[in-house]
Amino acid sequence: MRAWLLLFALLPALAAAGKPPAGKFSNSECVGCHAQRDAALIAAWRASSHARTAPKADCIACHGNSHAGSNARARHDEVCIDCHEKLNRAVVHSYTTSKHAVIVKLQGNAWDWSQPLARGNYRAPGCAYCHLHGAEHDTRLSTTPWDPFQTSVASAQETTLSRRQSVCGDCHAPRYVAEQTGTGERMQKIARMKLREARAAMTDYQGVLSADDRRTIETLFAGMQEHGRNVRLGVGHQSPDYQWWHGQPALDGDLLRIKGVIAERERRVLVERARSAANGGAKPGQP
Amino acid sequence: MNRRRYVWATLIVTLLAIPAGYGYVYWNKSGPGAGVYSREWKPEPVHAYWDPDRFYQPVQTVQGEFKGEQCIACHASVTPGIVNDWRASRHASPGNGKPPVYCSACHGSNHQALHMPTPKICAQCHERRVAQFMDEKRYGFPSHALAMERAVDAKHFADKPKAEVAACLQCHSVATKCDSCHTRHRFSAAEARRPEACLSCHSGPPHPDDDSYFASAHGKKYLAESARQDWSKPLAKGNYATPTCAYCHMANGNHQVADKTIWKFGLQEVNPNTSANEVRRGAWIEVCSDCHDAVWSAAKLKETDGERKQAWVRLYKAENTLKDLRSKDLLYPGATQRPAYPMDAMEKFFPHARIGYLDGQASAFYNVSPIERDYFEMWYFANLGAYKSAAHGDSAGVSHWHDRLDRALAGIETEAARLHTQGEAEKKKLGRRADPGRLWRDGEYTDYNREHN
Repeated sequence: MRAWLLLFALLPALAAAGKPPAGKFSNSECVGCHAQRDAALIAAWRASSHARTAPKADCIACHGNSHAGSNARARHDEVCIDCHEKLNRAVVHSYTTSKHAVIVKLQGNAWDWSQPLARGNYRAPGCAYCHLHGAEHDTRLSTTPWDPFQTSVASAQETTLSRRQSVCGDCHAPRYVAEQTGTGERMQKIARMKLREARAAMTDYQGVLSADDRRTIETLFAGMQEHGRNVRLGVGHQSPDYQWWHGQPALDGDLLRIKGVIAERERRVLVERARSAANGGAKPGQP
Repeated sequence: MNRRRYVWATLIVTLLAIPAGYGYVYWNKSGPGAGVYSREWKPEPVHAYWDPDRFYQPVQTVQGEFKGEQCIACHASVTPGIVNDWRASRHASPGNGKPPVYCSACHGSNHQALHMPTPKICAQCHERRVAQFMDEKRYGFPSHALAMERAVDAKHFADKPKAEVAACLQCHSVATKCDSCHTRHRFSAAEARRPEACLSCHSGPPHPDDDSYFASAHGKKYLAESARQDWSKPLAKGNYATPTCAYCHMANGNHQVADKTIWKFGLQEVNPNTSANEVRRGAWIEVCSDCHDAVWSAAKLKETDGERKQAWVRLYKAENTLKDLRSKDLLYPGATQRPAYPMDAMEKFFPHARIGYLDGQASAFYNVSPIERDYFEMWYFANLGAYKSAAHGDSAGVSHWHDRLDRALAGIETEAARLHTQGEAEKKKLGRRADPGRLWRDGEYTDYNREHN
């Protein structure tokens, strides 16, 4: 009986010991304390681009500077969008035009965001649900590398793919996830083919092009790189518009325009040559 | 005597030709894909989810017949999200003493023969709404009910590798399943009433319904006040402070969205004053009159008539410029110098650049010469942006897109003049047309596309 009483008397003290301290904190204070409590989490954050690239997204940027409601705050889309919209609108827009984002926007107000980002807790995934699932702070694990000129799947991608299978599997059937992933991979492969076709044409016909042509083509090629990334974003964020309109047909357009610049230069050179041959075999003018 | 023989011969040929024609179309539609080119392609696995009636195959993992409560008991741990959704839906508690609509009502009870619900299955209970939706077919394109046919019968859809065009069917599946707007497994009417429910498909270059609506006075008011709105109310007069997509296009919850379309999709010029269009105009004025004066509403509709007329003056100029180049064989590369127009047997014998809506312009956005692509973008992006802005009351959008139309037209005319000069110079100096050769005919994607439908 006495032992019980003692326990009851100690309970508030025990609870206080487990409770996060009140007050405002700086980022180094957060890291200092949490590195002891959960070293793996801090290490994961340090490895992510959030910690490594400017502007740095530190603890406070997402969680705020006090403990009260800090997890719920960081789980909301607005926290990510505030920054990422300025960095690259396509990243955000490809998500906001998906069904996932629409459901979060329309119904998220009624959800309990203090729940962990885990199976069954959210009707639809926000940014954090997929990219920081289960409090995994290494966001690199939830993004696929995008090198349009790679031909084989990098081994780093294996982790991402198995992680995706399990995160999407929180809500969707395993077959559905595998098939969506497969189609998404093939769709990106096709986007890469278009980029490589353009690059091959640029290399093969390098000699005929003028400096102006090269500049025009470089601008078009930069456009293609962006459309390629749009396909990738569309697949990852499940936005039909980014997979298609901002992606594939946009790639088609810039590919044919690059070929158009080359073809146009070639035919001019042909006519030039014919003209100078008619004028007594003088050297054709430089393109 | 002879005359009688001719009559008989004609009659017999006609009687044979009609069923043969039907037979041919039926045969074409019976391939592994879908639509009139179904024999030319095989679906991607994900197409099973976008057109389940045609492509879905059940999984064979679990054996046995299950009752509703049993489905729930097991899936609460296997797929808790789905069960949570269902529990919060009207299917779980329909009220008025009605029994719950369990999983098996829509998916079947034999786990090895499960199916994905189609409008036909939803119609078992929601007969009136599905009937309204199906009634759209009478009005032709554009409509939700014909969206799937429209996608699979597009030549570029049939021609391109299926993984490339997989996303097309994700939106066009609005015809073949009901959860595009009422997402599974909540199937909430309140959700489908919000404009965001439409914008995952109604956005992007050819149909910026989202941008044009949110930039309009209606849309701005929505963005400012939507949190205070009770979305459980029916889409009827007095219930909403500002109109949404559904309020106007699905007034009173009518799932028939095609019956009021005056300007169709903006892809062709239409006479906005035919008797049928006057009836549609009347229907629009009735909806607008829930909040506005009828005369004012009629004037607003006239503004869109005027905007369309202006857009078509420019579009016809550009189209005629291209047709002129085509007739003089000045497009570069010309139709014989590039991969054949997709999925067209006749193209192999009579190669021909596709210009204008009726000629198949909608598929002429790849493997064409740059000036044709410029026109495609003018017609499909700038023109439709202008139309959507006008129809949704975004006047800044109308100016923006008309400026784009002007610039596109000027660009096309300059480029056409250049093609003329260059073509003439070639004829004079070379005595023939230049040919870009393998640059246009070959390439990693171009080859892959040729071999994969």
